[in-house]
Amino acid sequence: MSQKTGSTYNQDAKKAIDSPTLQKNLHNLYERFGKGAMQVWEELEDQGMRDRVKESRMRTLAHLDIVLAELAENVRKRGGKVYFAQSGQDAIDYTIDVARKNKVRKVVKGKSMISMEIEIDQALAADGIEVIETDLGEYIIQLADDRPSHIIAPCIHMDRNDIGQLFTEKLGIEPTTDPEKLTMVARKELRQELLTADMGITGCNLACAETGQISIVSNEGNIRMVTTMPRVHVALMGMERVTATMDEHRETIQLLTMGAALQKLSTYVSFTGGPRGKDDPDGPEEFHLVIIDNGRSKILEDSDFRESLACIRCGACLNICPVYGKIGGHAYNSTYPGPIGAVITPLLDGINKHADLCKGETLCGACLDVCPVRNDLPRMLSALRYKLAYGDNHWNVRQHNVAESYVYAAWQRAISHSSAYRRMIKTVRLLQKPFIGKNRMIQRMTGLAAGWTDSRDLPPIAKRTFAEIWDEKYAKPQQQTQEIREEKTDD
Amino acid sequence: MTSDLSFLNNIRTALKLPQGAERTKNMFPALFAKPDKSKILEKIANRSQDEKALLVDQFKANCVTLKTVLHVAETAKEVEDITVEIIRTKEPEFSYNRHIIQHNHPDISGMQLWKRFNRESVTVHTTFPGDPEITEKTIAAYIGITVPRISIAESGTLVQFTTPGCPRSTSLVPSIHIALIRGEDLVADLEEAYALIEEINPGESFVFISGPSKTADIEAHLVHGAHGPKEVHIILLKEVEKIPEAAAESQLANIAEEEACQEGTTKENADTVKEGTAGLEDPAEKMN
Ligand code: SF4
Repeated sequence: MSQKTGSTYNQDAKKAIDSPTLQKNLHNLYERFGKGAMQVWEELEDQGMRDRVKESRMRTLAHLDIVLAELAENVRKRGGKVYFAQSGQDAIDYTIDVARKNKVRKVVKGKSMISMEIEIDQALAADGIEVIETDLGEYIIQLADDRPSHIIAPCIHMDRNDIGQLFTEKLGIEPTTDPEKLTMVARKELRQELLTADMGITGCNLACAETGQISIVSNEGNIRMVTTMPRVHVALMGMERVTATMDEHRETIQLLTMGAALQKLSTYVSFTGGPRGKDDPDGPEEFHLVIIDNGRSKILEDSDFRESLACIRCGACLNICPVYGKIGGHAYNSTYPGPIGAVITPLLDGINKHADLCKGETLCGACLDVCPVRNDLPRMLSALRYKLAYGDNHWNVRQHNVAESYVYAAWQRAISHSSAYRRMIKTVRLLQKPFIGKNRMIQRMTGLAAGWTDSRDLPPIAKRTFAEIWDEKYAKPQQQTQEIREEKTDD
Repeated sequence: MTSDLSFLNNIRTALKLPQGAERTKNMFPALFAKPDKSKILEKIANRSQDEKALLVDQFKANCVTLKTVLHVAETAKEVEDITVEIIRTKEPEFSYNRHIIQHNHPDISGMQLWKRFNRESVTVHTTFPGDPEITEKTIAAYIGITVPRISIAESGTLVQFTTPGCPRSTSLVPSIHIALIRGEDLVADLEEAYALIEEINPGESFVFISGPSKTADIEAHLVHGAHGPKEVHIILLKEVEKIPEAAAESQLANIAEEEACQEGTTKENADTVKEGTAGLEDPAEKMN
């Protein structure tokens, strides 16, 4: 079990399991979108599509320098500005600079995971700029001063009562728990903000290099507002979120909307790649595309993990994951929760720091099955665990738990020698006696082993093992004694 | 500040390429290779009436799922009547004034809506290029009317390109979006739509619209009208019916005329101005 790393994984997981609202919502999410996505893949007419997209994602990654250069060139041709940001801080500095030059007082944001990854909101606020999230879920989270717990459905941990109460408190509305009414309240509030903001900040779902555009999907329409009404649009883009051609874009975006919400297409797919045209009455006067590395090139470099950059952030792996389905998003304590988060959060932000994440997943393989681009997250989780078990210089990983590694080394020795194993069984059989409870199960262990019995009972080692019974009944007469048999097998 | 070069060089290092070797796309022609789209375009152009009818059915079914209201019209006159009916029966959401905004497109201006409403308190704005008040008018409008260039049967999607006379906000900011489409602009799937888009090569901005704005952020409960239009009405003009030549020509005259009557028009005097110009032409005659 987890060492004391100052991580709140265990507590947060426990909190989540104790919350009936969250458990209900997570269960619905799994039933509808987790299972639903599996069904979509089964029924997909074109069964080659997922492999094709994966192939094109990997090809793009292998030529990322060329594809990004092409993207930048084509955006610039239209008068858009492109900035390559090595770190999150670079991206923040650039964006603040743009905001200052344009005397920006109010920023409206379209849901963007990368903006959370680089923590730009705090920096903008520190500069005296008002930042308003416009995706309904994110808006609710912002009002509640909370953290999102799902990459597509940020406030899945709240129910209509929580949200109604929040709106009454913060917006002074008549108490209501009707989702329709609550949505209309937010629609009205946010419309004002959207129509009066100076700058819009969005992420980028998928850019297309050959046309020099970014595309963003949304169902609410806030993205369109954010990219249309304010004077300035800044799009923050993780450097891997790009396709070379429109053909690749078409298939990839389809997988994204199918995986995310079982939709053939989301309500809106906006393509944009520059400031408004000379005679266009609306659209931003300035368009800035910020292409962000922030640790991604290190992932790109490692052939074990490059595949994780093929991710299109559909969230399907969260919806199907039995671990996420119980502990929810907050326990991951990261911008990216769920199986994909358990892989990329340690890679982006420190493997030791996020050791609990890679150890918490079960490696059941559901995420691999549901992933539109078949990202082998279980394999990558194992690779991360390997690094934690043995340490890794390149990734700066110190051995996670030295005591544990000794225990396992001893265990390995014991189970690969049958005489040693049998001796161990005998010893443990004696040692376990005081721990066997009334129900004939081991209910509590001590020391390092305590975690095993925290939430379950273990069956004790049987009085006689199967092998012992077998030997007694069927062993050849000449092999009467245990000792002889052991000598024979122990070579 | 990082430069392009150091950023891209860093990627090259990560890809374990020899230092200083800048790669260009010409060295990897396969990366941006364009498969031949002529077959797809041919298919779109040569669809039989039966196939077209099937597409319409598919489009219809998807509109139902998406909660888009689809009206099928046989004639241009019918398109006009349906439009007028929607405008008459719907109430503004954010104010008491009945403003509508329409794209500067011949299929819309041909309807001469401002004439149809010359005795009602409905103000019709057109997004003429160069009008500095378009944003204001759009925000004031409860209905926006556009003519999406492509529609997609497989997903019930409209493809709306941005041009100076057809700005982005018209299909976005008003509470109701009315889209006038023609049967011949209906394609089967996304693949066909992309082929056309690449063929047409629109500007930097376009959008796919599939149904009204929606959200399910509160307990996964579906609500329509989060930030964009609450209602989308598509009026599909069924037959391959081109606007008669003569009408198309006189539309230019209309546009000028409309411009004259609407420029600087405020709510107070809009009705009188419109009344003054009404009856110059009979709109119904024009379209048929
Ligand atoms: S890893 Fe796959 S399933 Fe998970 S978010 Fe990324 S693309 Fe979706």
